[in-house]
Amino acid sequence: MKKFTALTALTLAVLSGLAHADRLDDIKKSGVLRVASFDSNPPFGFVDAKSKQIEGLDVDYAKAIADKLGVKLQLQPTNPANRVPLLVANKVDLVLANFTITPERAEQVNFSIPYFASGQQFIVKKGTLTSPDELNKWRVGVDKGTVNEGVLREKFPGAKVVAYDDTPFAFTALRNGNVQAITQDGPKLIGLLANVPDKDKYEVPPFTISNDLIGVGIPKGEARLTEVVNQTLTDLEAQGKAQGIYDAWFGPTTKTPLTRLYKIGDKS
Amino acid sequence: MDFSVISDNFSYFMLGAWPNGPLGGAALTLLLSLLSGIISALLGLVLGIALVMIRGKMRWLLLGVLGFLRAIPVVMLIFWSYFLLPILFKVDVPALATVVCALSLIGGAYLAHSVYAGISSLPAGQWAAGTALGLGKWQVLRLIILPQALPMMLPSFLNQWISLIKDTSLAYVIGVGELSFVATQISNRVMVHPTEIFLFVALVYFVFCSSLDLIANRWVRKPAQTR
Amino acid sequence: MFGELLAPQYLHWLLDGFVLTLILSLLTCLVATGLGFLLCLARLSPLRVWSWPARAYLALFRNTPLLVQLFFWYFGVTAMLPEGLVMWLNQPRSLSLGLFEIEWPSFEFLAGFWGLMLYTAAFICEEFRAGVSSVRVEQRAAGLALGLRPAQVWRYIVFPQALRTALGPLLGQYMNALKNSSLTMAIGLAELSYASRQVETETFKTFQAFGFATLLYVASIALIEVLGQLIARSKWYRQGVV
Repeated sequence: MKKFTALTALTLAVLSGLAHADRLDDIKKSGVLRVASFDSNPPFGFVDAKSKQIEGLDVDYAKAIADKLGVKLQLQPTNPANRVPLLVANKVDLVLANFTITPERAEQVNFSIPYFASGQQFIVKKGTLTSPDELNKWRVGVDKGTVNEGVLREKFPGAKVVAYDDTPFAFTALRNGNVQAITQDGPKLIGLLANVPDKDKYEVPPFTISNDLIGVGIPKGEARLTEVVNQTLTDLEAQGKAQGIYDAWFGPTTKTPLTRLYKIGDKS
Repeated sequence: MDFSVISDNFSYFMLGAWPNGPLGGAALTLLLSLLSGIISALLGLVLGIALVMIRGKMRWLLLGVLGFLRAIPVVMLIFWSYFLLPILFKVDVPALATVVCALSLIGGAYLAHSVYAGISSLPAGQWAAGTALGLGKWQVLRLIILPQALPMMLPSFLNQWISLIKDTSLAYVIGVGELSFVATQISNRVMVHPTEIFLFVALVYFVFCSSLDLIANRWVRKPAQTR
Repeated sequence: MFGELLAPQYLHWLLDGFVLTLILSLLTCLVATGLGFLLCLARLSPLRVWSWPARAYLALFRNTPLLVQLFFWYFGVTAMLPEGLVMWLNQPRSLSLGLFEIEWPSFEFLAGFWGLMLYTAAFICEEFRAGVSSVRVEQRAAGLALGLRPAQVWRYIVFPQALRTALGPLLGQYMNALKNSSLTMAIGLAELSYASRQVETETFKTFQAFGFATLLYVASIALIEVLGQLIARSKWYRQGVV
């Protein structure tokens, strides 16, 4: 009988994968919070030239969550396409990498409450785009594994989509003339442009083709971990720390001044 | 061309964030290739000998597995072992180990055939002579065959190591901070110098691989002259 | 994540990617074989003007990773080309050949083909060279002694034997080219590996997407293997007629 129950337990554990696991306990036990973040997308996540460490807005939120749990933060660089697989394959505990909340993704992973909002925009060479409709005939660069790609296909079915591993690759293709526009979340594009030496040659046309909310990606079914992340985000806003993080990267004195339109807890 | 981007980031190219973070860059490339070089050499030796010694169904199975490993693109194998093994079998392999594993398996599959070819290239009389002396099959292999066959195989081991150094660049798909990965990180940050950066990275790989190539060539020539 | 198959639309994506992989590899193998042969001639030439550039080419292309080479061609070199040329290369246009209409390939295809072809040619050259060196020097002397001109010695004595020896390794290089074509996904070429990633992000069916792609790769490699066996058993090959 004992054997039987052990076998059943094992089978259940293997079948569901959730039966035994509570990720929150695992994290506290190991003392390490593993977070996937971008390494090439200032100011969300990028390798700082001096410290050689990954820094940015997403990283600051990750640090705050690790502090709340009282554990060490371990960052895993990721590109957009690897974000869902990293969570599903249990390679990381959280994803903080400009991760747009969508119903399709929500079937694979849990999301926290949103902590950032943005809309999909374009970068083009200055003066080349006179009306958005022209995009229907253009070659447009996107990132593999982003929501942007699907939205682009839907809104501009005529555009020839070329997908790259990360936004800076797409931008290099734009600079080289291999694509005529690239599309991404507006703040990410502004962050990218701010670090380009010849930024005067490019522009972000003032139209948005989607409204996206950014959340923390959490493994599917980890209710307690989700709860802790949500609580941390709410607290950060209440204590004014969320504003502080925002100002550090998008405040008036930064390279990428941007008005804060969305606060954690706002109804979208 | 402006190569100051190389000198400014030189230590990041060579060592990654080390010593304030994990080892990366060219040093990690060497380490990964060295580890997978050693494991694939051992694996190749064992599997190659197995190809010689085993008969029947097991041999076909082994040939099938080796054929599969030689047929699958390295990138695909890295994906499989990194993202799908944990889901399928609940084994969690860290990124670095995944790369070493995948490269060793592929390298081992190629080397197994070289080892097999090396052993079969010896005349059958060697086996017969050994058996006539009253030695067992494994003794013949160990005392007579391998000492002759192994020196002949050395160049293919070194050549395999050269391909492994190049193949470590594929670890970029799962975010392992080896040379190609840190190079794209830097290129992505400074944006305007991709040509210089990739030229430099190519040069580093070139230095690593061609020095091994030189050694391999020496080895090929030396036995030929002494014999 | 298991069980359910992929919707027809996604199978279509994967098959499109597979066709592109096949076209890219086929073109690469054809052109690289020609270039590899010329390189081999240059490498074996007694004149240093020919042999040294060939040596340099071989050392450079064989000792650097294909991924870095592809990045270099697509992101690096394009940055230095005149803007007009890049625009010309990127313009969609088509060429009518009677019934067929050939569409101008995407720039990603051109760069991917260029990088993969140059890389593969270096390896093919080495296989040819190994084939030639497997023919004993005495045979050439014998040919000359029979009154053949040097070109005839190469045409009738060395190459037929060298090609026979090189056939197996040559097919091995074709397999490598097919597998290596998967790296062109890094420069945005929508081949099979790229398609499997696209399908994976759209459907989250990781297992099916990668499984299907892997199956196609393994099947095509197996096909080349079978082809090699058929050639090795053919009358043509056994009699050594080229």
